[in-house]
Amino acid sequence: MVVATAAVPAAPSSPYTEFTDPHLVQGRALWLDTCEGCHGYGIAGAPIPMQPTEWAPRLRKPLPLLYRHAIEGFFGPDDTYMPPRGGNPELSDSQVRAAVDYMVALARHHINVTR
Amino acid sequence: MKLRKPLLITGAALLASAGTVATAASDAQVSVKAMADALHLVMDSDRTIYTRKIVNRLVKKEKVIKASEHFEDDKALVLPAQMFRFGAELVQKRAEKLPDVNFSYSLQSLWPINKQNAPKTEAEKTGLKYVAENKGKNYYTTEELGGQKYFTAVYADTGVAPVCVACHNAHPDTPKKDFKLGDVMGGVVIRIPVES
Repeated sequence: MVVATAAVPAAPSSPYTEFTDPHLVQGRALWLDTCEGCHGYGIAGAPIPMQPTEWAPRLRKPLPLLYRHAIEGFFGPDDTYMPPRGGNPELSDSQVRAAVDYMVALARHHINVTR
Repeated sequence: MKLRKPLLITGAALLASAGTVATAASDAQVSVKAMADALHLVMDSDRTIYTRKIVNRLVKKEKVIKASEHFEDDKALVLPAQMFRFGAELVQKRAEKLPDVNFSYSLQSLWPINKQNAPKTEAEKTGLKYVAENKGKNYYTTEELGGQKYFTAVYADTGVAPVCVACHNAHPDTPKKDFKLGDVMGGVVIRIPVES
């Protein structure tokens, strides 16, 4: 579950905002370890959370659907492929959900900043 | 595509401005960097489409065929990286009969399974190290080989599917076993001759 939480500055040049919520602190660490390699750069069509136009449509989807796509894997409309658990089978369901929560919070943060 | 009148500028200025070439058909100018970027864009887009529309769709989504390094024995699709290499080899072969076409490209790695795919020149080594350590950035330089000056560009090659990473990590000949999805695993080297 994503909750409203205060954002704190990450490293000066980092676009990966830190949040005070401990759940998102954990999610950020997991996201950096498993997800950032693709989602940080748009590798293989992975949507970049710092790009509002890429994430706004996804934020309109129910959160449980985003969890399911991340846990089970997902084929995008252009045959892009998100592997189950971001390609890291060692992640538990709750860890994947935490990483998704962080990515959602990060996307919302950048959308708000853009506004 | 002949970069026959290549360069109106030389040496260090080449990199600063990325050089300028005149096409044979017109006086339109194009920088050699733009030419390398355009070549890479075509290569990368073709490979991406093969990965998505052929491999992802038929292997993972519809599950009607496998993709395998040993594609002939396994009656399987070639891997995207193999398709890329085959393309590079065919370009080299066909270009021998086209004197106006003069460029080469290859897929290389600092951690190659096949040692033939290791970098050989200092520019290749430096470029592969740079793109691995500076994700999202390309590397451009000039080098002289056998008396010919070249513009050399290196673009990161990233592990985009679990099978790429798993196969490289598990391969008996791999020098690196801890790749993760999204890691830079090598680079595409494009080399275009230019005049001094």
